[in-house]
Amino acid sequence: QVHSLQELRRSASLATKVFVQRDYSDGTTCQFQTKFPPELESRIERQLFEETVKTLNSFYAEAEKIGGSSYLEGCLACATAYFIFLCMETHYEKVLKKISKYIQEQNEKIYAPRGLLLTDPLERGMRVV
Amino acid sequence: FLLHRCPWLTKAISPAIPVYNGLVFLFVLANFSMATFMDPGVFPRADEDEDKDDDFRAPLYKNVEIKGIQVRMKWCATCHFYRPPRCSHCSVCDNCVEDFDHHCPWVNNCIGRRNYRYFFLFLLSLSTHMVGVFTFGLIFVLNHMEKLGAAHTTITMAVMCVAGLFFIPVIGLTGFHIVLVARGRTTNEQVTGKFRGGVNPFTRGCCGNVEHVLCSPLAPRLLFLLMVTIERLIRYIVEPKKKQAVSVKPPFLRPDLSERQITVKISDNGIQANLNRSKSKISLEGLEDKSMDVQPPLPPKGDPSKYSELTGQLGASEEGGLSPKLISPPTPAMYKYRPAFSNNPKVHYHAAPEQISMQEGHSQGALIEEDGRSLDYQSEPSLDIPSYRKSSLHKTYQSSPLQIDSFAISSRSLSLKSAGRRGTDKVPLHPMKSEGAASTPYKSIFSPNSLSNRNGSLSYDSLLNPMSPSGRKCIAHSAVGSVGYHSPYLSAKMCHLRGSELQRQPPQSFSPVLGGPAPHQRDPSPVRYDNLSKTIMASIQERKEMEEREKLLHSHPDSVFADSGVYDTPSSYSLQQVSTLSEDPRSMAMRYGSRDNLTAATSFSTRNPILQSSVSSLSSAMTRAPRTSTTSLQADLANNNVQAHQALQGRVSNGSYKSPGHQVPSSPTGMPRSPSYGGPKAVSFVNTVEITEVQSVGAQRDDMQLKTPHSKINGQPKGITRLGSTSSSQGTPVSPARHSNVKKVSGVGGTTYEISV
Repeated sequence: QVHSLQELRRSASLATKVFVQRDYSDGTTCQFQTKFPPELESRIERQLFEETVKTLNSFYAEAEKIGGSSYLEGCLACATAYFIFLCMETHYEKVLKKISKYIQEQNEKIYAPRGLLLTDPLERGMRVV
Repeated sequence: FLLHRCPWLTKAISPAIPVYNGLVFLFVLANFSMATFMDPGVFPRADEDEDKDDDFRAPLYKNVEIKGIQVRMKWCATCHFYRPPRCSHCSVCDNCVEDFDHHCPWVNNCIGRRNYRYFFLFLLSLSTHMVGVFTFGLIFVLNHMEKLGAAHTTITMAVMCVAGLFFIPVIGLTGFHIVLVARGRTTNEQVTGKFRGGVNPFTRGCCGNVEHVLCSPLAPRLLFLLMVTIERLIRYIVEPKKKQAVSVKPPFLRPDLSERQITVKISDNGIQANLNRSKSKISLEGLEDKSMDVQPPLPPKGDPSKYSELTGQLGASEEGGLSPKLISPPTPAMYKYRPAFSNNPKVHYHAAPEQISMQEGHSQGALIEEDGRSLDYQSEPSLDIPSYRKSSLHKTYQSSPLQIDSFAISSRSLSLKSAGRRGTDKVPLHPMKSEGAASTPYKSIFSPNSLSNRNGSLSYDSLLNPMSPSGRKCIAHSAVGSVGYHSPYLSAKMCHLRGSELQRQPPQSFSPVLGGPAPHQRDPSPVRYDNLSKTIMASIQERKEMEEREKLLHSHPDSVFADSGVYDTPSSYSLQQVSTLSEDPRSMAMRYGSRDNLTAATSFSTRNPILQSSVSSLSSAMTRAPRTSTTSLQADLANNNVQAHQALQGRVSNGSYKSPGHQVPSSPTGMPRSPSYGGPKAVSFVNTVEITEVQSVGAQRDDMQLKTPHSKINGQPKGITRLGSTSSSQGTPVSPARHSNVKKVSGVGGTTYEISV
């Protein structure tokens, strides 16, 4: 499955691309527009797509959330003169990993059968999906 | 301070003092390092495909609403995307930075989203540190008042003074940033007064802002800084031959990197990953090259694993990053590379398609050569990017002189030819792909290369116009230098393309009567034609003659060019026609219009490297044309076999066709028409013809005169004429008749030209 995904990726560069832009209505928090792009009209169900994007948005919101753990992380990093970053990955990075896993899974289950490929926003600087 | 006073202070006050000071100092240093080396939140450049829609039709601003307030997003021309809110492009770093605060010279890094906290903490800690130093120094001095002259005291006082001096601006800046943090603004916003009205959509309230600054999780690094040593890079590039599979991965997580075992010293700093970009590009290219196989040698890695690997590497590099020494040297290098790299991606892309095309090409040699070249390109990115870019450009152009499938390509090739044509003996039939690819990046250079002749010509015009004064010279010279036979073929090909293109576009202006169409025909950039003729000229003429002509004609081209931009376009049109003609004489008939002559001329010139043959063919083609102008041209052409070039170049000037020797008889009839016909074509032709003629005789004068009526084309024709003249050194008695309005110029071999001034 990974193989097929990779093949998909290879051909992705030749395929038509649809970009889902970011949604800035809530400031600079990382969100993507849930508006359904017309190009995908025939290729995937609206509901599925929106659900994917919403899930992604929630992931990103979680990543950026200021909570106790992130605070502790900051303090610890500060205390160790930021050496902690050598050993540990930050909260955000953990969430990013989750996201990429999620995207991969989504691709395998939903998008590949439809001949689509979802790219991780990270690849494009978090600007588009 | 620590050395001198700590011992005493420790004894005098408390042992905690050096510890405290040490800690503070360490804190300062750590924050400083983080602020310096951390990526502030750079946005990587947008890929080609992302911006293809936006690049040319993009409005400069796009409005987006944030929490009820309209915010403008500006299109960043360098990075090819609309800047997210609060994002700004730093000219020093040449990157768009998220939440751009400012570019700090002390830290030599942009301050953006990710390292603002560290920067802020750095300021705070530095202030604290300075306060501490000052205070303790004061205590020391006060306690040693009796021994003011002693060394210790003096040094302490000196240190105190320095600290006190620096204290003021640091405190000022710290206070400034405290205010900013409280307000939730960036320095950029404060300084540009964006929110003077008071409404800041990004603020979360004072406490929220502080919390956000201090406690928000570290945003991801979007641009992974990979400090790849040059050797590694080269090795990486050289390796592609091995067809290492490159899977399409996120640019930053490319397995290629690990594949190549590039020492990735990922520094957690602000060094822009231009190398990374280039790497990603290279990997992209490699990907394309290698038909994107999954690389066997690379241990299969899922994205997460890659990511972790990268992060691991990042971690490792962070370590390195923390030691300023490691990072700082690369930083300047990175900065150096960055601009180049930013330019490079496009070039890389070209190289890659070229490579691909090469691989698909016919000749192995060419392929290898191309590959080598592209490899060279790739290997050079960090080393010599500007030259690389240029060389790649040139190579791209040169490598595919005959790839004139599409109009755009032809236009490009034409431009290339003008830029510097070198006889490309080995002309691998690169798929137009490479050209196309090449065109894409250069679309910024050339106006959008649409298939329409006009557009292409216009783009060409833009290219040529700036360089017209110099370009002509260069062209002439280059034309001279180019291999005679090749260039005609090349030009022929170009003609083909043009011709085909011409065919596509109904020659509206082509009318049996030259008068009508002429104005229309002017629109297409004559540049094309010029180039073509130049090529032809080059092939035919000797360098010396060309140079001679150049000198003579230089004066004219400038003036001529100045005359008519309009003419240029027609000439290009004519060029196209010519190309068509060369391909198919019948098609010439199609084209007949004022252009026919030109096309005929060009076509046959293109077809035959030998002037005569081309001339004859052209003339034959011309014979088909029922038009007087064409006939005149044809006649000229026929006569100008010897001066095939000349015939080609014998652009029908306004009302005058300069075909070596042919036109004399028919020129009078033809000439009156030519003005409407479109000087450019005529001019170009004439020029070519003239050139041949000029050679033998001081026809340069004639050429020049011929050229004068012709606008731009003249510029080209000049080169052509030069060429022509060189070729027609056989002694074409250029009749002084040229000087008259309708001159009869006798070219080489007794051909006479009629040039209407």
